Amino acid sequence: MVGERSAPLVLSRHVLMLGVVLIVLAPVYWMLMIGLKTESEFSQIPPTIWPQEFTLEWFEAVVGKRGFGEQIMNSIIIAAIATSIAITVGSLAAYGLSRFQLPWGLNYHILFFILTVRMFPQTVTVVPLFIFFTQIGLIDTHLGMGLVHSMLELPLAVWMMLGFFRDIPRDLEEAAMVDGDHWLGAFRKVIIPLVRPGLAATSILILIASWNEFLFALILTRTEAQTLPIAVANQITQFDILYGRMMAASAISIVPVLIFTLLVQRNLIRGLTLGGVSGA
Amino acid sequence: MLNVLRRRSGGDVRAIAKTPWWETHLRFFFIAPSMVLLAVLAVFPAIMSWRMAFSRVTFKLGELAIEPIGFSNFTKAFSDNLIIGSTVRTAVWVLVVVSVEIVVGLFIAFLMSKLHSRARMVFTAALIIPLVLPPVSVGAGWLVMMDVNFGVLNYLLSLVGIEPQLWLADDRTALPSIMLIDIWQSSMFVFILMYAGILSLPQDPYEAAAIDGASPWQIFRDVTIPLLRPTFVVVLLLRTLDAARIADRMLAMTRGGPGSSTETVTLSIYKYAFIHFNFGYASALSVMFQVVLIILATFYIRRILRT
Repeated sequence: MVGERSAPLVLSRHVLMLGVVLIVLAPVYWMLMIGLKTESEFSQIPPTIWPQEFTLEWFEAVVGKRGFGEQIMNSIIIAAIATSIAITVGSLAAYGLSRFQLPWGLNYHILFFILTVRMFPQTVTVVPLFIFFTQIGLIDTHLGMGLVHSMLELPLAVWMMLGFFRDIPRDLEEAAMVDGDHWLGAFRKVIIPLVRPGLAATSILILIASWNEFLFALILTRTEAQTLPIAVANQITQFDILYGRMMAASAISIVPVLIFTLLVQRNLIRGLTLGGVSGA
Repeated sequence: MLNVLRRRSGGDVRAIAKTPWWETHLRFFFIAPSMVLLAVLAVFPAIMSWRMAFSRVTFKLGELAIEPIGFSNFTKAFSDNLIIGSTVRTAVWVLVVVSVEIVVGLFIAFLMSKLHSRARMVFTAALIIPLVLPPVSVGAGWLVMMDVNFGVLNYLLSLVGIEPQLWLADDRTALPSIMLIDIWQSSMFVFILMYAGILSLPQDPYEAAAIDGASPWQIFRDVTIPLLRPTFVVVLLLRTLDAARIADRMLAMTRGGPGSSTETVTLSIYKYAFIHFNFGYASALSVMFQVVLIILATFYIRRILRT
């Protein structure tokens, strides 16, 4: 498609896209830089594009005593619980749905049902969950929050893994089973190695979703299991906003996501399209 | 070879005889954990919401009291100006945000498909970045950029001779300001889906159009757009439903203010439930909202699964 056009036209397209990318990334760059500037510098006009004087005072304030150390740990623990549950349970379902035909057209209905759950208004589940969790003591706990996030991300896990399992030819498994292996052996030796990249990509997307989630965490946690987004939001609604501190906290929540995204970018497209809802 | 022979000579019969009951029903065990998880954490709560919707609910010190009161929570909603306002505002939000995102996303996807493959990889990796960032953290970042006194946006406006804006502090510009943030983040989602759709288009119709001497615009309008229809439906489904449920940006940045200028349906329900502790009324609003969303979703999903 590229070669058939004249060189100036092709060049101008690349320059145009470079402009788009720079505009899109500029806010991210700006946010990360504010956290590194001194107070007098980030409130000066005209603003400086590159910090004149780097400071780590905001980051020290954020991770130090009375900082966000606990919330960062909470976010990590909850994301780990949510990811391990959702990926295990979701992969099992996806494998089952990709390999077995259930009676009464259940395969179709289950996939439809799982998509529908993803479309529920948050309030329809979170209000009763608040009541149950208060009654059985799961409110403001890592386990409770992890379970809720695993429920929220299960549709993503099932649909995305379904795409990966469907890509594996059934002949491969059947060959392994003909060689005398039990289905479980075939699963372990043939299927798991082949879907490993898919498992990694799906896990990281669940991890990011749990790390970013705000509304359920706001309602279902108070102090013990409070997550990082809640801590960042609390900075915003304070009467006396400390921009530097707030931006350092934001940066701490942004950087791990950036790293993970670059790790799985190749498989990310599939995850974001819910594992090929289009049936592709 | 031996294995095959062994299986053929009655091995299968022996295998069936030895197979424990759970292994013959194996296919159900794969999906069971998912169904349990969704039943306990999504379906059961949703049923509970439906019950509370027809009740007066009090929940104090862990004691739950549910007293049936018929439809009064529902009738109340239709004369609640706050909810009517939120509904209109949410509808406007969905229309504006989704249509702008589709235009921007489609433009970037189309442009991307015309680039060299090396450049595509780098640019796509860069454009994914805003999409995965925590909405609350980027909200905080935009809040600083939208600062009335020293925010970079007002500085950029001053360079082109536009007077400073109040952004989130003015009830006329607050919602458009949050729309801008949403468009910045979620257009990249539309781009990814559209881009994947464009890359998987068949080549034959293009060759036929080229032979017929069609102009680039005609090809775009009469070949690309119709072929992309399945992708459009997926994008519309996912974006419409996510946009309709928006609350986290407003909750973190403005709490629905100034006034109620950025209050959406989900945010209003949140306030009724967790600020006024009126669980019955909040549930009635939730289930009505759920019905609307399920009708919308079913409409789209049936189209998707059919293709």
